[in-house]
Amino acid sequence: MKKTLLLLGFLLLLGPVAAQEIALKQQAERVAAIQKVKPAVVAVFARGGQGGGTGVLISDDGYALTNFHVVQPTGPTMQCGLADGVLYDAVLVGQDKVGDVALIKLLPKKEGAKFPFAVLGDSDVVREGDWSIAMGNPFLLATDFTPTVTFGLVSGVHRYQYPAGTILEYTDCIQIDTSINPGNSGGPLFNMKGELIGINGRGSFDKRGRVNSGVGYAISINQIKNFMGHLHAGLDADHASLGALVTTQSEKTGFGKTSVTSILEDSDVFRRGMDLDDELLSFAGRHVTSVNHYKNVLGLYPRGWRVPLEFRREQNRKEILVRLMGAQRKTLDEQGRPQDDGPRPVPQPQPKPGEPFPQPGDQPKPKLPLKKQPIAPKGPPSPAAKYYEAKAGFANYYFNRLERERLLKAYQKHGDFSALDGDWTLEGGVRLKKLRSESRVKLDVVSEKAGESSKFVIKLKIDEFPYALEPLKSGLEPAALKAPETSGGLLSAVYLYRLLLTQSDKAFTECYHGGFEPFYPPAADGKTPTSVAALRVDCEVLNTRHGPYLTKWFFSRVDQKLLGFEVRLTDNEDPCEVFLSDYRPVDGRLLPHRLQVMYADGHYGTFNFTNFSLAK
Amino acid sequence: MRNRRFFVLALATLLASMATAHAQQSFTATANEVNKKMVKLFGAGGFKGLASYGTGIMVSPKGHILTCNNHILSSSDLRVHVYDGRFYRAKVIFREPELDVAVAKIDDDVDFLPHIDFEKEAARPLAEPGDWVLAMSNCFQIATRDEPMSVQRGVISAYAELRGRRGIFDAAFQGDVYFIDAIACNPGAAGGVLANRKGDLLGILGRELKNTLTDTWINYAIPIQAAVDLQREEKLEKVSMATFVREAIAGTYKQSEKRKKEDRGGYHGIVLVPNVIGATPPYIEEVVPGSPAAQAGLRPDDLIVYVDGEIIPSIKMFRELMRQVGPGAEVRMEVQRANRLHSVKLKLTEQPKVQASK
Repeated sequence: MKKTLLLLGFLLLLGPVAAQEIALKQQAERVAAIQKVKPAVVAVFARGGQGGGTGVLISDDGYALTNFHVVQPTGPTMQCGLADGVLYDAVLVGQDKVGDVALIKLLPKKEGAKFPFAVLGDSDVVREGDWSIAMGNPFLLATDFTPTVTFGLVSGVHRYQYPAGTILEYTDCIQIDTSINPGNSGGPLFNMKGELIGINGRGSFDKRGRVNSGVGYAISINQIKNFMGHLHAGLDADHASLGALVTTQSEKTGFGKTSVTSILEDSDVFRRGMDLDDELLSFAGRHVTSVNHYKNVLGLYPRGWRVPLEFRREQNRKEILVRLMGAQRKTLDEQGRPQDDGPRPVPQPQPKPGEPFPQPGDQPKPKLPLKKQPIAPKGPPSPAAKYYEAKAGFANYYFNRLERERLLKAYQKHGDFSALDGDWTLEGGVRLKKLRSESRVKLDVVSEKAGESSKFVIKLKIDEFPYALEPLKSGLEPAALKAPETSGGLLSAVYLYRLLLTQSDKAFTECYHGGFEPFYPPAADGKTPTSVAALRVDCEVLNTRHGPYLTKWFFSRVDQKLLGFEVRLTDNEDPCEVFLSDYRPVDGRLLPHRLQVMYADGHYGTFNFTNFSLAK
Repeated sequence: MRNRRFFVLALATLLASMATAHAQQSFTATANEVNKKMVKLFGAGGFKGLASYGTGIMVSPKGHILTCNNHILSSSDLRVHVYDGRFYRAKVIFREPELDVAVAKIDDDVDFLPHIDFEKEAARPLAEPGDWVLAMSNCFQIATRDEPMSVQRGVISAYAELRGRRGIFDAAFQGDVYFIDAIACNPGAAGGVLANRKGDLLGILGRELKNTLTDTWINYAIPIQAAVDLQREEKLEKVSMATFVREAIAGTYKQSEKRKKEDRGGYHGIVLVPNVIGATPPYIEEVVPGSPAAQAGLRPDDLIVYVDGEIIPSIKMFRELMRQVGPGAEVRMEVQRANRLHSVKLKLTEQPKVQASK
C-alpha cells in the first residue's frame, strides 16, 4: 500500500514534468521547422535597393513566389537577398494581377547551382485555430536579409476579401493574427511542419494605419497551384467570371438561397442550360450557401477553366461543366480605372476590404495605385535582362517560349511525323450517337493540285455518306467550317491535328503555352459518372491560331501525350471537342486509335480506327 | 493491489495526455464550439467611420442576444446571422448603458438555438493577468451567413480600471476590465467573446478605443462578472451583468435612470494618477495642454489639497465634487508642489467634443 502511494505521488509529479518536456519538444520542433525553411525566404528589392518585399523559393532552380504588388514597382528585373546574406539577380516570370501573385526566378551565381526551397502544403486542410509561422522582412529590419519570424493563429479560412482599388481581389484566403507588416508582402505563411500554405500580402487596417491590426490575409497556396502553369509559362494570367450574377436571399426557413439574378446570354453557363432564378447548389465541388462562398470558388480558377456546377430548378438538380469567362478588364486608363467593364457582375454592398501592404519607404497613399512607374534602374542593365522578353498579354514571353519548346519536345517523343507530309488515310468504324449500329468510316487528308498551287481537302465517308471540306478556302460560311453538322467541326479538327503532328508549332500563326487546365475526357466505358469531377485529368495547354481556327490542345501533365483538343472560330461559342485515346504504335509512332467527338451538350460519335496509311 | 497499480498507471497516462493537449494545440475545436453560440449583427452605421456590423452572444435558446450597447442597435432593422447561416430579424429589448451591454431578441418564435448559460459562466472567478485567452468576433465583417467568426489569441495584460474620460477616450463602461495584448477591438468586434483556451466565456469584447493624446488603441473586454451601482427608484443598487441578462431574458429588467448630462460637470483638463486603492490621494499625472488646468499653471505631480476650501482626501472625492460644478464656474484650488501650497483659479469650460477616431 505504502509503495503504491509512493508510486502515485511520484506519478502525480510526473504530470507537470511531462508537460514541460512536451512543451520543450514542441518548441524544438518549431525551431527546427523555422531553421528548415528560413534559407528559402527571399528579400525582394528593386534594383538599386529601393522598395522591398518578401518572396519564397519553391524549387531548386530558383523559382520564387511573391506578391504582384511587390514586383509591380520593380519592373521585370529585381534583386533578391537570401538568408545567407547573398544578393541575387532575378527576373519576373509570370503574374496574376487579380490574385496578387507573381513568380520570379533567381539566377544562380554558378550555372546549375541549387537553391534551397520550401515544400508546398495543402491549404485546404488548414483550419481556424491552427498555428502558423510567417517569415519575411517587415519594415526592412534585416539588412543582411535574415528573415523575421512571427508566430500566430489562423483566425479564419476560406475568407473572401473584396477588391481593393479596382481588380486586386483576395478569394478563399487564410486570415491570420500572425503579425504581418509592410515588407512582409509576398512572404511565406507556413504550417507547423514548415510547409508553405500561403503568401502573405494584405491586412484589414481601417483606422489603424497600415501596420498589423491583428487581421492579416494570405493567399492560399491551393489557389496559387491552379495558376502555377500560367505563372511558369510567363503569362499575365486572368481570373474567371461565370457570366451570371448570383445573390443570396433569405428563405422562410431563415437559410439563404443563392440564385441567379442576371445572366449573360453569350456565356457558357447560359449555353449549358442555367437560367434566371436557378438556385446555385455547388460550384467546383464546393457547396455554396452564400455569395461569399461562390466568389471564393470563382477566385480560385483561371479564365477558361472548366469546372462542374450544380444547380436546381424547381425540384430538378442538374450538373453541368462550365467554361469560365475572363474577369480582368481589358484596358485600364491613366488612373488605372477600367475602360471596358467586362462581364464581371458588380459586387453587392461592400464591407471595408483588406488592403495590400505598401512597400516600406513608400509615401502613404490612399490606395494601391495600379500604374506605378517602375523605379528606374541605375547603372548597367541587369544580368537577368537577357531572360526578359516583352509581349502584350504576357508577363515575360521568354518563359512562354521556354515552356512551349519543352512541351512540344516532350510531345514529339511519342512519335515524329514531320516526314509524313503526304496524303493520309484512316479507316475503321464509327458509332454515331444518332445510330444504334456501328458504321464503316474512311477519313482522307489529301493535297490536291489546283493549277500552280495545291490545296488541302479533308474527306470523310461514313458508310455511304460523304463529307468534304477545304479548310482554308476563303469565303466559306462558319457553318461549312463546322461540318459535319452536329460535330461542331470535325473535318477542320482533323486537318489541324495533322498540322500539329507534321509541322508542330511552325504551322500556326500564334502558338503559346496556356498553363495548366483540367480536362474531362469521357469515361472509357462510355458511362456517365455521378459527377464529372471524376473524369478530371490535369493537362498542360497549348493555344494556337491557324487561319480562322482557334485551337486549344490538352497534353497530359504526366507524359505530355495529347489527350484531346478543342476547335472554335470565336471565343463565345461551343467548340468541337475531340478526345484521343487508345494510343498504339503505327510504324513505331504512337497514334490514338480512338477519337471521341463532342459538341455543345451532345456526343457526336466515337471513331475506332484500325488502318492508318500515312504517306511521306 | 494489482488493480490499484493499474489505476495509478492509467491516471499517469491521463495526466501525460492532458499535458500534451496543453502544448501548442490547435484551437479549431474550441473555436468551433464557441462559434456556434455567437451571431453576426447588422444594423445602423456605415458612416463617419462607424461600422454597421457587430457581434453578439446567444444567451438563450429562444434567441436572446447579448451585445455591446453601441450605435448599430439604433436601427429598426437589426439583422442576425446565426452560425449555421440562418437569418433572423431582431429587436433590442433592454439596454444597460452603465454596463455598456444590451440584449436583443430575435423576432421568430424558436426554442432550439445553441447558447451560453450566462449565469453559470459568470459564477466562475475572474481570470488573471498572464492568462491565455482567445478573442472571437466578426471584426471587419469578414464573415457573413455561416462563415465562422475570426479567432485571435492573446494574453490578459492587466485587470484594471478603464479610465475613460471625455476628450481622451470615450469609454461608456467605467470599471475594471481585462486589457488584452491581442489586437481584438477592431471595427465590429464589440460584443464578441473573450474566452479561455477551453472556450469558457471570460468577457465581452469592448469597443474601438483610442487615446487621442498618445494616438494608441487599446484592446479590452468587460468581464462577465462586472457589476455597477445604479440609481433605481431612488435607491443605489448593485447590478451585475448576470442580473441584467437574467432579467432581460425574463423581461423584467428595470432600466436605470439615465445619467444626467450635467453630472459630468465642467471641463478642467486634469488627469489624475490611477485610482488604485480606495483613498488614492489626488495627485495630478498630466495636464491637458491648453485646458483650464494648464492655463491656471497646474503641473504633473501637484497634489490637490483643497477645492473651494474643502479638503480633498481622495480621487473619488475630487471627482464627485467636480461633477457638480458646471461649465463657466470658477473653482479655487490649493495644490501642494514640493513643500509649498500654491493657490490657483480654474475657469471650467464645456466638455470638449469627443474626437471622432480615425
